[in-house]
Amino acid sequence: MPPPFPHPLLRRDDEFAPGSESWPEGMSRRRFLELMAASLALAGLGACNRPPDGTIVPYVVPPDREMLEDALYYATAMPWDGYARGVLARSHSGRPTKLEGNAVHPDSLGATDALTQAAVLALYDPDRSRAPRRGGQVASWARFEDEWLGVHRDLLSRHGRGLALLTEPTTSPTELRCIHALLDRLPAARWFQHTALARFDRDGRQDDYDFGRADVVLAVEADFLFDHPSSLRYARAFASRRRVEGGRVNANRLYVIEASPSVTGSMADHRLAASPAHARRLLAALGDLLDGNKPSPALAHEERRVLAALARDLQGKAPNVVCVAGESCDDAVRDWCAARNARLGAACVTHHALPAIRSDADPRSAGDLGAAVQAMQAGGIDTLVVVGANPAYTAPADLEFARAMARVARRIHLGSHVDETAALCPWHLPEAHFLEAWSDLRAYDGTASIVQPLIAPLYGSRTAAEFIGFLAAPAGRNGYDLVRETWQHHGGADFEAAWVRWLNTGVVDGTTASRSKPTAPAKAPDLRAGASSSGVMLTIRPDPTVRDGRWANNAWLQELPKQNSQLVWDNAVFVSPTLAATLQIENGDVVQLSVAANGRSPISGRTEPARSAGSTNPNEGPTVEGPAWIALGQADDCVTVSLGYGRTAAGRVGNAVGFDAYPLRQSASPWAREGVTVRKLGRRHALVSTQTHFAMEGRDIVRVALASDPAGTAGRPPETPPSLYPPVEYPEYRWGMLIDLGACIGCKACVAACQAENNIPVVGKEQVGLGREMHWIRVDRYHSTKPGEPPVLHQPVPCMQCENAPCELVCPVAATVHSSEGLNDMVYNRCVGTRYCSNNCPYKVRRFNFLDFRAPADSPVNLQKNPEVTVRARGVMEKCTYCVQRINAGRITAEKANRRIRDGDVRTACQQACPTEAIVFGDLNDPAARVVARKAEPTHYALLEELNTRPRTTYLARTTNPALAGANRGDAA
Amino acid sequence: MNAPLAHAEPLVAPGESARSIDARISRVPLDFPHPVLWWLGFAAAFAVVMVMLTAITWVFVRGVGIWGINIPVAWGFAITNFVWWIGIGHAGTFISAILLLLHQHWRTSINRLTEAMTLFAVACAAMFPLLHLGRPQYFYWLLPYPDTMGLWPQWRSPLVWDVFAVSTYGIVSLVFWYLGLVPDLATMRDRAGPAWKRRLYGVFALGWRGAAQHWRHYERVYLILAGLATPLVVSVHSIVGMDFAVAILPGWHSTIFPPYFVAGAIFSGFAMVLTIVIPLRALYGFKGYVTDRHLELMAKVLMVTGWIVAYGYFSEFFTAWISGEEFDRFMVINRATGPYWATFWTLITCNVIVPQALWWRRLRRSASGLFVVSLLVNVGMWVERYVIVVTSLHRDFLPSSWGMFNGTKWDWALFIGTLGFFSALLFLFVRVLPALSMTELKRFVVTGEETE
Repeated sequence: MPPPFPHPLLRRDDEFAPGSESWPEGMSRRRFLELMAASLALAGLGACNRPPDGTIVPYVVPPDREMLEDALYYATAMPWDGYARGVLARSHSGRPTKLEGNAVHPDSLGATDALTQAAVLALYDPDRSRAPRRGGQVASWARFEDEWLGVHRDLLSRHGRGLALLTEPTTSPTELRCIHALLDRLPAARWFQHTALARFDRDGRQDDYDFGRADVVLAVEADFLFDHPSSLRYARAFASRRRVEGGRVNANRLYVIEASPSVTGSMADHRLAASPAHARRLLAALGDLLDGNKPSPALAHEERRVLAALARDLQGKAPNVVCVAGESCDDAVRDWCAARNARLGAACVTHHALPAIRSDADPRSAGDLGAAVQAMQAGGIDTLVVVGANPAYTAPADLEFARAMARVARRIHLGSHVDETAALCPWHLPEAHFLEAWSDLRAYDGTASIVQPLIAPLYGSRTAAEFIGFLAAPAGRNGYDLVRETWQHHGGADFEAAWVRWLNTGVVDGTTASRSKPTAPAKAPDLRAGASSSGVMLTIRPDPTVRDGRWANNAWLQELPKQNSQLVWDNAVFVSPTLAATLQIENGDVVQLSVAANGRSPISGRTEPARSAGSTNPNEGPTVEGPAWIALGQADDCVTVSLGYGRTAAGRVGNAVGFDAYPLRQSASPWAREGVTVRKLGRRHALVSTQTHFAMEGRDIVRVALASDPAGTAGRPPETPPSLYPPVEYPEYRWGMLIDLGACIGCKACVAACQAENNIPVVGKEQVGLGREMHWIRVDRYHSTKPGEPPVLHQPVPCMQCENAPCELVCPVAATVHSSEGLNDMVYNRCVGTRYCSNNCPYKVRRFNFLDFRAPADSPVNLQKNPEVTVRARGVMEKCTYCVQRINAGRITAEKANRRIRDGDVRTACQQACPTEAIVFGDLNDPAARVVARKAEPTHYALLEELNTRPRTTYLARTTNPALAGANRGDAA
Repeated sequence: MNAPLAHAEPLVAPGESARSIDARISRVPLDFPHPVLWWLGFAAAFAVVMVMLTAITWVFVRGVGIWGINIPVAWGFAITNFVWWIGIGHAGTFISAILLLLHQHWRTSINRLTEAMTLFAVACAAMFPLLHLGRPQYFYWLLPYPDTMGLWPQWRSPLVWDVFAVSTYGIVSLVFWYLGLVPDLATMRDRAGPAWKRRLYGVFALGWRGAAQHWRHYERVYLILAGLATPLVVSVHSIVGMDFAVAILPGWHSTIFPPYFVAGAIFSGFAMVLTIVIPLRALYGFKGYVTDRHLELMAKVLMVTGWIVAYGYFSEFFTAWISGEEFDRFMVINRATGPYWATFWTLITCNVIVPQALWWRRLRRSASGLFVVSLLVNVGMWVERYVIVVTSLHRDFLPSSWGMFNGTKWDWALFIGTLGFFSALLFLFVRVLPALSMTELKRFVVTGEETE
C-alpha cells in the first residue's frame, strides 16, 4: 500500500502538483497555524482575571524579615457565631495554611478552639459556591448587577417597600453600617435576623463572668468552657484555678446541673444530671436551702447532699461565687441565677454585664425569623435577600419558612455554599470566606478586629458588607474601602498609622466595652411553678463540632471525635443507661422521637399547634428518627439530640450524614420539649466512635489528685526503672512535653490543630469504624466509677517520644529512629509498612496509611497543606513528631542569631491551640524551662512508666476538688 | 544408611519387592492413573489459585487496607497465615532430618511427600510477609545489600532474622528434597516411555547410574544435609516465635514462645502430613508403604507435640497468674472470656482435647479417624495463631485504644487462595514426581531371612 503522502525527498515532478498547497479537507496549513496561534494567545488571555482593584506593589523589596518560602503570619479574626475569634493566619507562598490564636485578642489569648483550626479548610472546601447562579445555571455578577439596577430603581420609587433583608446577627461594624445605610436609603425595607443559635441578652446587656476569681461556680446548662463566644477566655481563667503550682492549687469548685454530658460538665466536681424541668426543682430546693427554708423532700439522697454542700459553699465563699445559666435556660432560670448572683454579692466580683455586641436586638431590626415569616405570609414582601443565613435548613419547624418564602417573588441568596436556602432562591451569589476578604468583627467584650484577607477571593465571591453595600447603592464599594471608611474616625489624627497598628496586632485599640454591674430581678423567681413535668423531656443542643450545621461540610470537624461522646460523622439521640435499659435500647438502635402534638412547651405552658413537618401523620406531632447513644451522665428523664446533621445541600462531605433534629424545634422553645415518646424501631444504624472502651479497668492511667492535698493524693512519684544499657546522653537539647490533666477540659482543639499543622488526612466514617483514624494526638475519655474520682476523665495522648522506644527496636528497616535530641523520628521514606512498631507501641499512638488517604491531586484542599510537612503515601506509618518542623524552624532562627533555642521559641501545634495551656513543651536540658518546672510538681507521673519506656511526654494528675468525699459522682445513674 | 533394625511390624507390607515398589510408585507419574479424579482435583485447586491471584492483585492495587487490619490490630490474617504455613512446613524437615539422625526408619515412606509439603508450605508462607507490607515494592530493604546510602537492616528486629531464617530454611529444604530425589529420578528416567520424558528426568537425575561411588557420595551428602537441616527445624520457628516474644505486648512477650512455637509447628506439620497422606495412599494404592503402623507413629508424634503445646498454653496462664502483672492477667482472662472467647475455646478443643482421643490405639490406626483429628488440629493451630496475633493486640495496655478485628472477604480470599495454591502444587507433584521414595523404601522390603 503506498503511503498517503510521499516523502518530500521522493517527490520530483509532482512536488507542487495542483492542490498540493492546501490541506485536502478544506483547512489550509496557513489557516491551521493561524487558528493555533490565536487559540494559544486567547488561551493565555482566558487564564487572566480582571486586574485586582487595588494597587499592585511588586516585590521589588521583599516583605520585611522574611523570605518568600517562609511562613508569614497576619492578624485577622474569624467569625464564631458572629463574634470575633482573633487569629494569626499563617501564609505559605500566598496560601493561608493554618490559623493560630492571637495572644492580644481577648477571646483568643493565643489559643483557638477546634472550629477555628478547621476554618482554614473551609476556605478550600471543594463544594464552596464558585459562581453566581441564576435558576441553578451559572451566571455572573455582572448579570446580577444589571438585574438589581432595575430592581433597585423600582425599590427606590417605593422607598424600599416590599424588600426584606434577612441576615444572621452580626458584630461587624461595617456590615452593620451597610445594613443601616440600606435602611436609610430604603426606609420602608425591613431587616430581619435569624440564627439557630440565639444568644441571650438581658435588657440589651450580655453577661460576662470572671472565672479566675470565682471560688464556687454553679453552671446550669451552661457549657461556658466550650460553647460560648468567650469560651477560650473562660477556659483559661477556669484552668488557672486548677493548676497545681509549687505543689499547691488554689482550686475553685464547679457544680454543674445539666441534662446531657458537656465539656463543662466533665470538669465538674459535683454534677447533677437533670432534665430542665428537674433542674428547676433542684434550683428551687437550692433556693430554699440558701434562704434557710427546709427544701422539699422529693429529691434523691445524693441530690440533697450535693445541694446542701453547694448551698454551704455559695454562702461560705460569697462574694467569690457565681451562678451561670446557659443559653438554653428559660427566662425564669436565668432570672433566678441573676438574682442569686446579686443576692450573694457575686455581681460585684465575678458577674458583669457588657453592652450587647451582636446585632440581635438592634433597634432597626424588624425582628427574627418569625417576624420575617409573618411578613412574608402577609404578602407584603416581594423581594427577599438572604445574606449568609440558611433558614431553609435551620428554621424552627413550626415557622414553615419554605412555604412562606415561596410567596416572595424575588428571592436572592448570598452564601458560601449552594445550600438548602440557595436551592429555594432563583439567584444565588457566592459569599467570600473571611480569609479572602476585608471585614471587621467584634469580640464578646466589644474589642474590634479588622479582618484582613490573605488571598484574593478564590471564586469571585463577595462579603456580606460588600453585597449589602451594593444593594443599597449599586455603585458598589469594595470591602477594603468600606472597612476603612468605618474606622476612618476612630484612629485619631494619624489614621494610616493606626490602621497599620490594628492590622499588625489584630485588635482595634480602645474598642473594648466597659463592664458594668448586671441588672437582676430583686427577687429570684419561684421555680417550683412549671417544674411539675413528668415523662421524658427532650433537649436540643448545637452539635459540638458542626454546631447548627454550618460546619457540616468540614471533613476535619466531622472526623473530630465529639467532645461528649467520641462519636464521629454522626449525631445521635443521647439516652441514659437507665432509660436505655428500660426501653431495651443499645448503642446504634434507631429510635423514633415524637412530641405529642398538643404537648405543652416546657415551662412556658403554651400549647403548640399540630404540625406535620418531619412527620408522616398530620395528626401527630413532629417525629424524628435517629440512632441512640447511651451516654453516661445523661439525665434519666431526658433525651438529647444535637443540631447540624441530616443536611441535604451541605456538600459532598455533609450531605446525608446523621439525622435532622430541626423538625423537633419550636420557635417558642427552641432548646427543650416535653412529652417526648421514645420508640425503638428495630432498625440499626452504625454509629462510629474512635473509642469503644471507656473504663480504665483499674489501671493506673489517669491519676486523680485532690486539690486539698495534691502531693499526698497523686500516687507514687515517678521513678525510672533500671536498664541493662548505659544511659544515653543528650548534650544539646532534650525535648519533652508535659500535659496537665488538671487543666485539660477535653475540647479537642489540639486534635484539630495537629490535623491542620501536620497534613493529617481525613479517612471517612467507614475507615474510622475500622479503627483507622489518623489523628496524631487523641483525647481519651474515661468514665471512672471510683469514689472520689470525677466520672469523666480526659487524657490527651500524643506520641510519648519514649527514650526506650519499643517501636524502634522492632522496625526491620530502621524507619523509626532516635534523634540526638531524643525525638523518636519517623522516616517516611524508609518505611516499608510492617506495622510492627504500632503493635509494639503500648500507647497505640502510631497511625498507618492503610489505603491511599491523600486528597485527589486536583482538589483545592491540597492548597491548605503545610509545605514543611511531608504528605504521607499509602503503606507508610506516621505519628506525632513533636512538630519537628517547628523545632527546626526555631533552630534556624536561633542559629541565625547565634544563640540557643529559648524556652517558648518552639510551640507545638497542640500546645499553641490549647485554651487552658495544659500542654507545655520545651527543652528538658534547660533548667529555666517551664516544662522542667512543671515536671517537678508532685502530681507528675508518666503513663505506663512500669514498662520502662521512659516517655518524654508525661502528665500531671487530674485535680479534683469535691466538697464531699466520695460523693462527687452526682450523675451516677 | 544402615540396614533396617528389627521391627515389631514391617515398614513395608510383606509381599512387596523392589520391583513392585518401583512399579507401583513410578506408575503414578508415568501412567497417570485416575486421570478424571486428578483433573477434577487440580481444576478445583487451580480455580482457588485464581482467587489467590485476584486477592494479591487487589492488595497491590488498593493497599493492605482491603484487609480488616487496623490500629490496634495491625497484624491479622497475613501473619496468622504466615506462622501457620511455616509451622506446617516444619514436619517435612523434622521427618527427613531429625528422624533420619535418630534412625527412625519409618520416616522413609513419608519423607518425600512431607519434604514436598514443606516446600509448598514455605512457598505459601513466604508470600505473606511480602504481601502484608504497606509498601511491598521495597521488601528488599530487609536484605543487607550495598545500598548507596549505606543503609542496613535494623538487626535488632526479629523481622530481619525472619528473612534469613525462612530463606535459609527454604533453600536447605529444597536442596535436601532434590538431593533425595536424584536416585528416584534416575529410576523414572529408566522406566519412562517417551523419549522426551526420559530426557527430562535424565537431566534432573544428574547422570545417576547407581554406581557405588554415587551411592557413597549420595549418602554422605544426605547425612550432612540432614545435620545442617536439623538446627533449622528449631531455628525457624524459634525465630518466628521471637517475632512475638521480642515485643512488649502481653500475650506476646513470653520466653516460652520459641520452644512452644517449634512444638506447635511439628504438631501442625504432622497433622497436615496425615491430612495429605491418608487420601493419597488410598487413591494410589500406597497402603503397602504407608502402613497403619506409620499412621500410628505419626499419631503418637501428634499426641506428644500436642502435649507440649498444651504445656505452652498452661505455662502462659501460669506465668500470667504468678507474675501478678495486671496486663498479663487481663490478657489471659480476655482470651478466655472476651469477645474472642469462641476462638480461644476452639483452639483448646482442637489442640488439647481432641488429640487426647489418640490414646486409643484403634483410633491411631484408623485412617478415617486420624483424618478427622488431623483436620481439627489444622484448624486448631490456625486458630491458635489467630488468637495469639489478634487477641493480644486488640486489648493491650490503654483501654482507650482497644478495638476489634474482623477478617474481610479479601483476608479470606487470600488465605483460602493459598490453600488452593498448596493443593495445586501437591497435585502437580504427584503428577510428575514419585510421591514416595522408591530408593529408600526398597531397603525395607521384607524378605524371609530379614525378619526376626
